[in-house]
Amino acid sequence: MTSLETVRMVAAREFRERGKSRAYLISSAVTLGIILAMVVIPAVLSGRGRTFTVGVLGEGNDPILAAAEALTADDESPTTIERISFDDRDEASTALEEGEVDAVLVDGRELLVTTTGGFGGSDLERLLQQAASTRRIQELLTTGGAAADVVEILTAEALEVVPLRGERGEEAARRGMIAYGGLVLMYIAILSYGAWLLTGVTEEKSNRVIEVLLATMKPWQLLAGKMVGIGLLGILQFVVTLITATVAIRVTNLFDFPEIPVDLLLSMVLWFLLGYGLYSVAYGAAGSLVSRAEDAQTAAFPMTMVAVVGFFVSFRALADPSSASAVVMTFIPPVAPFVVPVRVAFGAIPLWEHAAAVAVTVGFLAVLVRLAGRVYAGALLHYGGRLKFREAFRSAEM
Amino acid sequence: MLVLDGLAKTYGQVRALDGCSFTVDRGRMIGFLGPNGVGKTTAMRAIFGLVRLDAGSVTWNGRPVADEDRMRFGYMPEARGLYPKMKAFDQLVYLGTLHGMTRPQAKAAAGRWLETLGLADRADSPVEELSHGNQQRVQLAAALVHEPELLVLDEPFSGLDPLGVETMAGILRDQADRGVAVVFSSHQLDLVEDLCEDVAIIDHGRVVLSGNVDELKDASAYRRLDVEIEDGGDFFRHLRGVVAEETDGDRHRLLVDKGTDVRELLAEAAAAGRIRRFVYTTPSLSDLFREAVSR
Repeated sequence: MTSLETVRMVAAREFRERGKSRAYLISSAVTLGIILAMVVIPAVLSGRGRTFTVGVLGEGNDPILAAAEALTADDESPTTIERISFDDRDEASTALEEGEVDAVLVDGRELLVTTTGGFGGSDLERLLQQAASTRRIQELLTTGGAAADVVEILTAEALEVVPLRGERGEEAARRGMIAYGGLVLMYIAILSYGAWLLTGVTEEKSNRVIEVLLATMKPWQLLAGKMVGIGLLGILQFVVTLITATVAIRVTNLFDFPEIPVDLLLSMVLWFLLGYGLYSVAYGAAGSLVSRAEDAQTAAFPMTMVAVVGFFVSFRALADPSSASAVVMTFIPPVAPFVVPVRVAFGAIPLWEHAAAVAVTVGFLAVLVRLAGRVYAGALLHYGGRLKFREAFRSAEM
Repeated sequence: MLVLDGLAKTYGQVRALDGCSFTVDRGRMIGFLGPNGVGKTTAMRAIFGLVRLDAGSVTWNGRPVADEDRMRFGYMPEARGLYPKMKAFDQLVYLGTLHGMTRPQAKAAAGRWLETLGLADRADSPVEELSHGNQQRVQLAAALVHEPELLVLDEPFSGLDPLGVETMAGILRDQADRGVAVVFSSHQLDLVEDLCEDVAIIDHGRVVLSGNVDELKDASAYRRLDVEIEDGGDFFRHLRGVVAEETDGDRHRLLVDKGTDVRELLAEAAAAGRIRRFVYTTPSLSDLFREAVSR
């Protein structure tokens, strides 16, 4: 029997047993529940009749606003639009700034908004765009336009959106949103699946099955098998959650689901694997130091701290993905899995930096695997109180 | 054949093993005895490569034990443990495959062992729901499921009720009869005496006495004398060669020099009073043990 077969068997057991466990099923159900609630509740709320206040400036606005109301007229709870007329642009901008109006429609062509919030614009923005397109198609039909014109109307934005603050960049906004979502998901995934490894390792020590296992395999095989098995379960939960979220968003039409650029997706998968690898190895070593489940969190405190710090500093990268600090963090392995995908999302990382960051992290991971493997091997058969990293390292038997 | 040769291991200041050597032949059962904390567990772990030895070697069939050999060893560690939430049957199948069995083989063997141990109806129970005694049985099955050639059991009898002891003893004897080399540690000397042809007694990390139990008894420098004399008083005070004595009313249990003439003893006893009992025999395993580890 080869080493890898042993690793595969350990992984398969982890996958089967943990996958069946109440803890896994409940945590999966809770995650799905939260995701669905996040999508469905706003969708239900936004379905209620809403009232927007729109400032109007110039000519040609009324048909669009009328069309907008007409569009939702068949809904269970139609949207109503209140109008406030302005005489000049400054006055309108001030009112918009102060929140008296939600947006300002100018000459039936331009839409003033405060900022380009989130991505895909606000509900009102979307409604007005739709209304304006509808109007133009109606006009086209009465004047007898060509089919090509219809296509153009449908693909282009009917109203030019002018934000008071910030740049309008569809792509950047979309990528930013994905980066933010990805960052949060990555953090949650790495920490929770890392924690599974932590408790899984401690459990084997506390219920003493470890000695029977080590009589048949090397510690690294056990650690590697657990990492793979738990990693696969984690990825499964992750994918199911993402698919559910995507379907829920599509069904409820809560917002336009952004298309995820392929380069970003690949980079997120890669960095998830690297991040999970780093943290799970470290958590595995920490878990081996203690014999009781209640001590596990304490032993893992340093790793958890690093992850939390990594998560928060990566918000800086989110704010300014090209800053010097973001570049530095790219090369700090425990932080890189959070920071690099953000920079990739904004297209703010040169290819060589990305490649170098992967190389540095893989190198770090290789060293960490050896160190952690040795701590793990040294600590596994030590029962009783908590072992120090150094003691475990020294007493490594295998 | 398993040979432990000159094993040495020091943990900090503690010398756990100090030249520990003994041999286990296939088809033999050896009792590994010794006071607490003298290195029994360390020696057993060394067989499975769980201890990095400072010196010495463990060989199986003349070659240092390799990972493939360990696939054919069965181990019941002192620190008992199985996955509490895993079903007994699944657990045995898993351990069987870890020892190189195919899944169908492992399933067949797991079923067979659960049947043998009277646990067939609990096959699908998580181990944590089994009684203590039944957990012990599953643990034994875990050591046996892959039909090992060498069976190493650390205190297999501790915590068993008399029925459990009987079952365990029967299975170990069975394994030895089938050609398995069996080594187990125990504190229950009477049991070992009944069960084993061979013993190894360890003290301070070193085997101080080992070999065939009967031969060891014969070779002992002492003999056991159990006499009961009506109103015999302390007749043994006059005897030469008495090493130790225990008196309970008229009954005296003596340990005497091997060289003492038994006829002389009998004459002395007869002179002291009416003899109700006179048993002259080799020392018990407990005597050998006490002698070997006397401190």
